Amino acid sequence: MTFSISDSGLNALVDEVIASGTTVIAPALVKLSAGERREYQKIGSAQKMALTGAIVSNSLKPFIMPPSVPLFRYTRAKAAVSLEPATGKAQAAVVIGAQACDIAALEIVDRVMDWDYHDEVWFERRKATTVISLACTQADASCFCTAVGSGPDHPRGSDIQLLRKKGGYLARALTESGKAFCSKYGSHFEKAGDDADRDPLIKETREKVETNLKIDLGAIRSFLTRNFEHELWNDFGLRCHGCGACAFACPTCHCFDIVDEPEGITHGVRRRNWDTCQTAKFTVHASGHNPRKDQNSRIRQRVMHKFQIYPERFGDVLCTGCGRCVRVCAGGMNLLEILKVLDKSAEAKS
Amino acid sequence: MSIYQPHLMRVDGIIDETPDTRTLRLVFKDPALAEKFDFKTGQFGEYSVFGAGECTFCIASPPTRKGYIECSFKKCGKATSGLRDLEVGDEMGFRGPYGNSFPVEQMEGGDIVFIAGGIGLAPVRSVIWNVLDRREKYQNVTIIYGARTTGDLVYKRELEEWSRRADVKLWQTVDPGGETCDWKGQVGFVPAIVEKAAPSAKNAHAVICGPPIMIKFTLPVLSKLGFSDDRVFTTLENRMKCGLGKCGRCNIGEVYVCKDGPVFTAAQLKNLPPEY
Repeated sequence: MTFSISDSGLNALVDEVIASGTTVIAPALVKLSAGERREYQKIGSAQKMALTGAIVSNSLKPFIMPPSVPLFRYTRAKAAVSLEPATGKAQAAVVIGAQACDIAALEIVDRVMDWDYHDEVWFERRKATTVISLACTQADASCFCTAVGSGPDHPRGSDIQLLRKKGGYLARALTESGKAFCSKYGSHFEKAGDDADRDPLIKETREKVETNLKIDLGAIRSFLTRNFEHELWNDFGLRCHGCGACAFACPTCHCFDIVDEPEGITHGVRRRNWDTCQTAKFTVHASGHNPRKDQNSRIRQRVMHKFQIYPERFGDVLCTGCGRCVRVCAGGMNLLEILKVLDKSAEAKS
Repeated sequence: MSIYQPHLMRVDGIIDETPDTRTLRLVFKDPALAEKFDFKTGQFGEYSVFGAGECTFCIASPPTRKGYIECSFKKCGKATSGLRDLEVGDEMGFRGPYGNSFPVEQMEGGDIVFIAGGIGLAPVRSVIWNVLDRREKYQNVTIIYGARTTGDLVYKRELEEWSRRADVKLWQTVDPGGETCDWKGQVGFVPAIVEKAAPSAKNAHAVICGPPIMIKFTLPVLSKLGFSDDRVFTTLENRMKCGLGKCGRCNIGEVYVCKDGPVFTAAQLKNLPPEY
């Protein structure tokens, strides 16, 4: 079902959603000491939206899986303990103008969170969130979504997909929830849109990203399966500081820690916090034995998990090519370069 | 209820195994849950001390003994220190059972060799009692257990009981220098004692748990004795947080220890990267 919506119509729609009490998350401009960046934020008015510009600096992960989230509260009274659910249920939210890579990531993490045990801490927010993506009309040198099965206009994970056109957007309602949203706010949408009107910049963006990286994911997966021991891991490990910035910036990295935060002797809260396989503490045993004792093995784990382990289990790769790990790395590590090297090595071996 | 929210249990008994190792007997606070709860030998759980955190251990008691579970642990960090501070009657938390189990039914009709080192006897003990409580279903039962010193041997009363039983062959050993003047057991590392005990591999299964170094040197001995890799079972004790296949911590190669394990055969271990 394709509609169209004008620029002013979209602004009015966003303001109406905000007025209804629903949280709206959208890219907004953040002023820096030098320049500015776009960041997904909870916005208070449509005026704050910045739907075009540089690649959004953060991912949507913090909004579905907050960096620290309370699981439950405990109270101890002498020997007895009582537990109560943490306060603060997931609020209905609408994400507007998200990049394809960020939306696809949500669907990828869904599979882990629904693997035998249904993780309601994740799905509570996930289900309360309507996702409206916007096909990218810009890309930078770190973008590689097209190399990992996504693309600037890939609809995966979107309830509604917006595509830029002259004076407004095409709006494709892709899920039941998307269709329900379009009919609820029907007054802002116009008659059916014509897909041919889409901004030619979308196609150009795709072509630009395609020149950034072209790899054979199947060959890389098979190379990784056969090369747990390889000198490449030493090369990568030497450059990695083990800070974990890549994992925190990543929309698909989902590893976490569970810790208790006492708020006094008798009560406190158990929380789930972001964690990363890039630190030594992640795997160290109580005895002091650490199965991944050097950075080589930890960077290997990150690459393996994304391009071999997750694919073996769930089919796709655990990466949407957003390029944030490249942009944030202080050590100059570059997943594009790593993938290029792996691709070349895989080709040489076969 | 959240999958991360533990059931409440009450400490029903405490046994000090060694100066730094303790066993807790736990019963469910909710009688209906106590009635309903069941597990398989080899499965693990997440034990909570509220304010200190959670830690992961295999259930050390056998499923053949109903109404309680036991865990044995060494005081190492914050959570185990918290567990150690608990007194009889105190409430704590438990999530589980999680993971796969030792195929004790598959082992019926043949011999079983148990090999353990140090606190590694805890998960093996669940299998031992499961087998001894259904003793008629098995042939020869051999237990080979070692610790650094005589003081580090856990479950001393049970070792005493097993040593007296005619239907159990028990070998106890301590590392060289770890013996006392009155020590009547073996002196030597576990792999060497396994070689000396030389249990028959014919129609036999082996269950082994201990420090990674012990397992590493014992597997070739078992192989030499004729145990095929798919009849040797061990349990991996990787660091875990969720136990549910979400937190990513126990992932080694293609397996999640919490979901695909913790019990693996030696054949499976050989296909895993050496990250355990």
